[in-house]
Amino acid sequence: MTKRDGVVATRPTPGTPRPYDFPEVERFHLGNGLRVIVANLPGRPLVSASLVLRNGASDEPAAHAGATVLAARAMSEGTERFDAIALVEASERLGASIHADAGWDAMSVSVEVPAARFEPALALLAEMSLHPTFPASEVERLRDERLNDLLQAKADPRRRADEAFAATIYQAASPYHRPSGGTRETVEELTPARLRAAYERGLDPARTALIVGGDLAGIDVEAVAERLLGQWGPAVGAGATGKIVDAGAVRHRFVRVLHRPGAVQTEIRIGHVGVPRRIDDFHALSVMGAILGGLFNSRLNMKLREEKGYTYGAGAGFDLRRAAGPFAARAAVNTEVTVPAVADFLAELDRIREAAVADSELQAARDFLVGVFPLRFETPGPIVGALSGLVVHELPEDELARYRPAIEAVTVEDVLEAARSRIAPDQAAILLVGDADAFGADLEAAGFGPVTVERDAGPVEEGRDPGAAAAIGPVDAGPQGPTEGAEEPAADGSGDPVEPHTSSEGDDDR
Amino acid sequence: MPIPTVSFTDERLPNGLRLVIAEDHLAPVVAVNIWYNVGSKHEVEGKTGFAHLFEHVMFQGSANVGKAEHIALVQAAGGTMNGTTWLDRTNYFETVPSHQLELALWLEADRMGTLLEALSQENLDNQREVVKNEKRWSYDNRPYGSWNEKLQAHLFPPEHPYHHTTIGSMEDLDAASVEDVSEFFRTYYAPNNAVISVVGDVDPAAAREWVERYFGGIPANPSIPPLGDLSLPPILGEERRETVMDKVPLPRVYVGYRAPSFGDTRLDGLDIAAQVLAGGKGSRLHRRLVRDERIAQDVALFTLGFIGGASVAAGWATVRPGVDVGRVEAALHEELERIGREPITDDELERARALIESDELGALGRVEERADRLSMYATLFDDPGLINRMLPRYLAVTADDIRSVASSVFRPDNRVVLTYLPEMPPADSAVVDAAADKAEAAA
Repeated sequence: MTKRDGVVATRPTPGTPRPYDFPEVERFHLGNGLRVIVANLPGRPLVSASLVLRNGASDEPAAHAGATVLAARAMSEGTERFDAIALVEASERLGASIHADAGWDAMSVSVEVPAARFEPALALLAEMSLHPTFPASEVERLRDERLNDLLQAKADPRRRADEAFAATIYQAASPYHRPSGGTRETVEELTPARLRAAYERGLDPARTALIVGGDLAGIDVEAVAERLLGQWGPAVGAGATGKIVDAGAVRHRFVRVLHRPGAVQTEIRIGHVGVPRRIDDFHALSVMGAILGGLFNSRLNMKLREEKGYTYGAGAGFDLRRAAGPFAARAAVNTEVTVPAVADFLAELDRIREAAVADSELQAARDFLVGVFPLRFETPGPIVGALSGLVVHELPEDELARYRPAIEAVTVEDVLEAARSRIAPDQAAILLVGDADAFGADLEAAGFGPVTVERDAGPVEEGRDPGAAAAIGPVDAGPQGPTEGAEEPAADGSGDPVEPHTSSEGDDDR
Repeated sequence: MPIPTVSFTDERLPNGLRLVIAEDHLAPVVAVNIWYNVGSKHEVEGKTGFAHLFEHVMFQGSANVGKAEHIALVQAAGGTMNGTTWLDRTNYFETVPSHQLELALWLEADRMGTLLEALSQENLDNQREVVKNEKRWSYDNRPYGSWNEKLQAHLFPPEHPYHHTTIGSMEDLDAASVEDVSEFFRTYYAPNNAVISVVGDVDPAAAREWVERYFGGIPANPSIPPLGDLSLPPILGEERRETVMDKVPLPRVYVGYRAPSFGDTRLDGLDIAAQVLAGGKGSRLHRRLVRDERIAQDVALFTLGFIGGASVAAGWATVRPGVDVGRVEAALHEELERIGREPITDDELERARALIESDELGALGRVEERADRLSMYATLFDDPGLINRMLPRYLAVTADDIRSVASSVFRPDNRVVLTYLPEMPPADSAVVDAAADKAEAAA
């Protein structure tokens, strides 16, 4: 018997889908106005909880850039009752990991802990959230670590490209022009007082929410939350800040090259200012993004990876924040193909605006987004994350419940309209980090737009991956993270829209 | 705190395919995970990187599936998928809504049975370029990107297959031919060299029937060549050092050690030692090097479990500007050697156990992880039931077990030290040096 004889050629048809609804949630307010959202998830003993303060890096004054991100980091460095070591040891004894984090849109203090120890873990979370002391010596250390991290970022072509791209497409008056963690100039000036001011800007129970998910049988979340988080009032400096400036700096397409002598790959970013999360055509945009650069079989990945072999992964996506975050198409390509790769990117950005997508493309994208929805919400962490996103972006309570029907309703016309109104290839910046000596002449000749090459690039910085560690662990086939162009934004607004699937996830072993 | 037990069935088809099924109807999702007992350790000289390149080819189509269609079908079904290659294995997995399980099984069977019918020079050349770009992206164009390659080369002798990395060399990737792919497939991609685990919202009877229908007709390969003896002396026998000039702004010291094989309970002890030394802000290395002395920007220490002769324990410390690299290295060695001399405290052990327990609870909460582990334990140890015994094993480790394994591993004649130094100092390092000096004064 040959192998051919042994297999069944007929593709099976799907069975009957099991009904699925996003988990029911209970909503209430504590005595001080703090909002609580609870998803009881039987059979999920690792509980996830997140306190979300609607105050992010985009709310801080430019001169204090980086204060909010550093303040979040410093919240675990000491409180009125505990020093940093006592705090971390207490949480470890509970088997709890507690993290405070801030991005553009919000600050969040989150914990994952076995349900049986939920109450003492929430007590630590409350202590960190409400009574941080920002000890001078620890703030100084964190500030120096951030400055060193900025040095590391310059040496990492990916981070360098991301940061330079943001600085290129936004006007200097926009917070998005700079890294959320601040620049060297601003970070050097950060003090405990500035961190406290950034923290207190968000310290208002009326603008804060606690989201809890997991198997909460036998736990009176309302009573526990009331006792631990229901007794405080707004700080003096608390309050919403004004409109976030998100104005773009690109009028006509141009090319900016940061020269990296000898680089074997060029990091490519092409795009412009995108849109905020709260828009009417969110679902059409999600489907369009999946087709253009979100799915593995997206137009960009099929062209640049599967047809040309130029890259390990190409994609595009919108970073959806409270104000208009960036739209970027991106890939790392081998140096020799830099110019043809840029040409392919531009051709695909044009094509999706020029003609309607095929019905098969529409169907595949809608089916993926609808079908993968239950997979995304298998465990408490992502459920809490999605509910946090609703709070941060002030979205309606039924946003997640109506996600799947809304995606189903998207038409080819909607996709075309989203592409035409949201993507502007003629007003895109093309940012390249690579060896300009290898492709500079071809780049000029290609006529993408005026070219500038910076041979001694100034400080471009940032990053939320301080380790910047090289890959370790199994090597992946490398489909890019397929859902990423279309997901709910991260609560802190730091979601990276599309990144090729990395091989550094170390998915194996114990 | 009780950790839920994973109940599963474990059987073999007549052609040797091992099938493990674990039911869990909490979410309407199901995970499929196939481990093939082949990894980069099966590569011979001149063919490094081949197992991984082959894995890419597995997504290029088979008799009834077009190029890249495997992924298209899984995504259109609302699923996610990937494949990974590592020293001891290659695996392929899908997580799909439960009513799409049959599709995932059919897709895996089609490529196990008929890959070569769709194999073309064009597809191989395309994926060769993709993989070379993966290597550039993950290793060559990344700060400190060569450390893993160097560490493996120092820790394992040239004749041992762990001497080279899974990604391989550009030269060897260029040399890979269609004939190599065919030969590799015929040798290793046989049902009797694979374990398939199906975990989640599944009717076991239906799953069994589908696996039999789709995989049952694929013939076994009765002559899979055994791997030679991979055993190694437990320690390196000497200290090996290398200084690497790289485009990095901060120096970094890497250390690497031979460690007990994956599956050996002594490695469990070493895992806990790594947790105590570098697992988070309460750990010894973080406290001393980052927080108190402020000589390092970050620290790491972890184990990589392998079954072929020895595992690896590795770590690093990134040196703060203006700090003597030798001082950081000395502090690293001191802490690693100290944990081999003095037992850790009861409190350290209790905290490490609580964290491991929570990690396990989180990991086993996902069907994808459960399927991966069942296939892993079945493939490497012929024992999928280890999925329920690993946590008790960790919780049984004593302070003296930890001291004992640490003293046998963390010794000068068993270590590799790689020192990465900046090719040229960053233009603005003076500014940060000043800041670092202030911090040191304050510490």
